[in-house]
Amino acid sequence: MTDVVAQPGMPPVVPEASEPDEKEGKGNGRYFLGVPIVGWMFLFFAIPYLLLFIQSFWKPTAFGVSQDWNLDNYKTVFFGDDLVGSIYMPTLLRSLKVGALVTLFSTALAFPLAYLLAFKIRNHRTRMMVYVLVIVPLWASYLLRAYAWKVILGQNGLFGSFLDQIGLQDSFLNNLLYSQAAVIITMTQIFTPFMVLTIYAVLERLPTSLIEASKDLGVGRFKTFTTLVIPLSLPGVIAGATFTMGLSSGDFVAPQLVGGPSDMMIANQVYSQFGATNNWPLGSAIAFVLLGCVAVLVAISAQAEKRELL
Amino acid sequence: MSKVQDSPSAAPDSSGAAARPAVELVDVVKRFGDVTAVDELSLSIADGEFLTLLGPSGCGKTTTLRLIAGFEAPNRGEVRIEGVDMAGRPAYKRPVNTVFQQYALFPHLSVSRNIGYGLKHAGVGKAETAERVAAMMELMQIPDVGERRPSELSGGQQQRVALARALVMNPEVLLLDEPLGSLDYKLRKDMQFELKRIHREVGVTFVYVTHDQEEAMTMSDRIVVMNAGKIEQQATPAEIYDRPLTSFVADFIGDTNIVHGTATRVEDGHVTVDLGALGEVGGSSDDEIAAGDRVKVSIRPTDVKVEDGSGSDAVVQDSVLVGGHIAMKITSGEETVIAHVSRGGSFEPGAAVRLDVDSERIRVFADGETTAAGAAGE
Repeated sequence: MTDVVAQPGMPPVVPEASEPDEKEGKGNGRYFLGVPIVGWMFLFFAIPYLLLFIQSFWKPTAFGVSQDWNLDNYKTVFFGDDLVGSIYMPTLLRSLKVGALVTLFSTALAFPLAYLLAFKIRNHRTRMMVYVLVIVPLWASYLLRAYAWKVILGQNGLFGSFLDQIGLQDSFLNNLLYSQAAVIITMTQIFTPFMVLTIYAVLERLPTSLIEASKDLGVGRFKTFTTLVIPLSLPGVIAGATFTMGLSSGDFVAPQLVGGPSDMMIANQVYSQFGATNNWPLGSAIAFVLLGCVAVLVAISAQAEKRELL
Repeated sequence: MSKVQDSPSAAPDSSGAAARPAVELVDVVKRFGDVTAVDELSLSIADGEFLTLLGPSGCGKTTTLRLIAGFEAPNRGEVRIEGVDMAGRPAYKRPVNTVFQQYALFPHLSVSRNIGYGLKHAGVGKAETAERVAAMMELMQIPDVGERRPSELSGGQQQRVALARALVMNPEVLLLDEPLGSLDYKLRKDMQFELKRIHREVGVTFVYVTHDQEEAMTMSDRIVVMNAGKIEQQATPAEIYDRPLTSFVADFIGDTNIVHGTATRVEDGHVTVDLGALGEVGGSSDDEIAAGDRVKVSIRPTDVKVEDGSGSDAVVQDSVLVGGHIAMKITSGEETVIAHVSRGGSFEPGAAVRLDVDSERIRVFADGETTAAGAAGE
C-alpha cells in the first residue's frame, strides 16, 4: 500500500539500469537501525494482538475469563446467540456498507480537488495554500471535528438554521443528527483529506508530456481525461480507497457521537464488549472478524494495484 | 541583424520554386512573463526537408517547436502549416505529430496500443489499425515487442516506439524534441543513421530540435542556429561549418579558437588581421570591416599548424590525447589557442613552438558580438 504512489506516471525506466544496491552491505550492521521500531511494534502491537487472538478462543465467566478453549465466540459473531439474537453480522455488513459509501463520496469529492491541485492551479503560492487548506483539518483532533458536526447538524445547528432561513423548515434535512446520514457526512469530511493526498501524489507525478502526447495524437481534452488521466490515477485512488474503507468501516467515534442507536457499527460492539458488557473473549472474536475483512480488502487492492502497474 | 536572415543555399528541395512550404513562421513572438523566448522569428520549412533547430539551452528552439505543435500560442505573429493559419487551433487538431524528449509513452498500455492510440481515437477500424501498427513496427525494426509494456523496453526501443506512434498518424510534419538526449553515446550514433533512413523512407518533413551540434551536422538538410530567441544563421551543415556568419555560430558549431586582433587590410570580403604575438592571418568575412577595426578571428583547432620554434614566445601548456588526435593548449602573450595535431606532431608541455595558421576556413567578425559561451551562461 505504500509503494503505489511511486510508479505510475514516472518516465519509463531503462530496465538494465536497476542494479542491486549493495553499498551499505556491511555484515548485519545495517539492520541495527530497525531494532527500535521493530521492538516497539512487537511489544505494543504484535503481543497485544496475539493475547487478544488467544483470548478470542476462551470462555467468558461472570467476573473474568476461563481458559477453556472453544469456538463459541466466533459462532456467536456469525450466528448470534440466544440472549440477543443475531446482531453481529448485520452490524458488520452495515459497517462495511457505511465504509463503502464514505469511500465513494470522499473519492468523488477528492478527485476533482486533486486534479485541480495537480494540473489547473499554475501559481505555486496558490497551490501551496490550497494544499495547506486540505491538510489543516488533519491537525485538529478527530473528536473535535466529530463534535463540530454535532453542532452543525443538530436541531438548532448551523445547517438547520440556514434551512429555516431559506424557508425549508419542515425538510427532513433539518434534523440530520443521530442518523446514518450524519455518520456518513462526518466520516466523509474526516477521510477526504487522505483521499486528496493519495490521488494528488499520483497525479503530481504524471508527466504533463503524457497529456500533451495524447492531444498531439489527436485526442481531445475530455477523452484524454477518461482514457489517460483516470486509468493512470487508479493506483492513487485504490490506495486512498483502501485506507478510507478500512478506517471508516472500523470507526466507532462517529457513530457514537452523531449516529442514532440503530446506526451503531461493528467497532461499537467491540467497544461495548470490552466495556459495559465485560465480555473480552467475544469482543476479541468480533475484532478479529473485522480484522479479517480488512485483510481481505488490502489483499484485493494489492492485487488490483499489481495488475494496474505491470 | 537582418543580414543573418538571408540564406542563399537554404532550401535543398530543388523540385521547384513554387512549392508551398510545409511550415511557415512569420514574425512570431512568444513571451513567458518578462522573458522573451522567441523574438520576431520568421522561418520557412520546405516540404520533405530535415530541418534542425540548433542552439544552447534557453535559446528558444523547444518553444519554437511547441508553437508549431500547438502546445503554446504565440503572443504575436503567425504559424502556418501547409499554408493554413494555425491561430486558435488546438494541438489535437493540427496535422503534426511530436516525438517527445522523454518519449512520453503511455505506461499503462502495451507497445501496440501505444502506437495505435491515435488511430483508435480517430475512429480507424480495428483491422486497419492493426495493419498500420504492424507496418510501423516493421519500419522501426521492432516487430516483436507489441505485447510488452514500455517499461520492459530498452531506451533505444522506447525511442522507436515513440517514433512509430507519431509517424503512424501520417503527419504532414514530424516534430522531434531532443529525441536522442537520453540515449548513451553509441546508441545515439546508431539512431542518427536510423532517423536518416526513416526520414528517407517516409518522406515526411522533419523538424528536429537539439543542442548537440554533431547530431545536427550528421542528419540535417538545413540547420537553423538559434540564440536568445533569434536566428543567427540558417544554411546547410557544410556551409554553417565553413562559413559561419557570426562568431556565435563559429563558436557553437565545432571547436574553434576565437582570437582578438586588428584588421590591417580589407579587400573584397577578405580581411588580413594582425593577431599580435600570433602573427598575421587572412580570412573571409561577411561583416562591414574597415582597416584598423578591432575584430575577432575564428580558427579551427585542426587548422593550427604547430612547428618547433625555439626562441618563439608561444609555449605549450598542456597536451592531451583526445581520441585519434592530440589537443594542445598553447599560450602566446595573452591569447590561448587550442591546436589539434596528429599523434606524431605533438610537443611536450613547456616546449616553445611556432604557430602557423593558414586556411580557407578562417573567418573574421566585427568585434562586439555575443559568443556561444557568453549566451549559454545567461
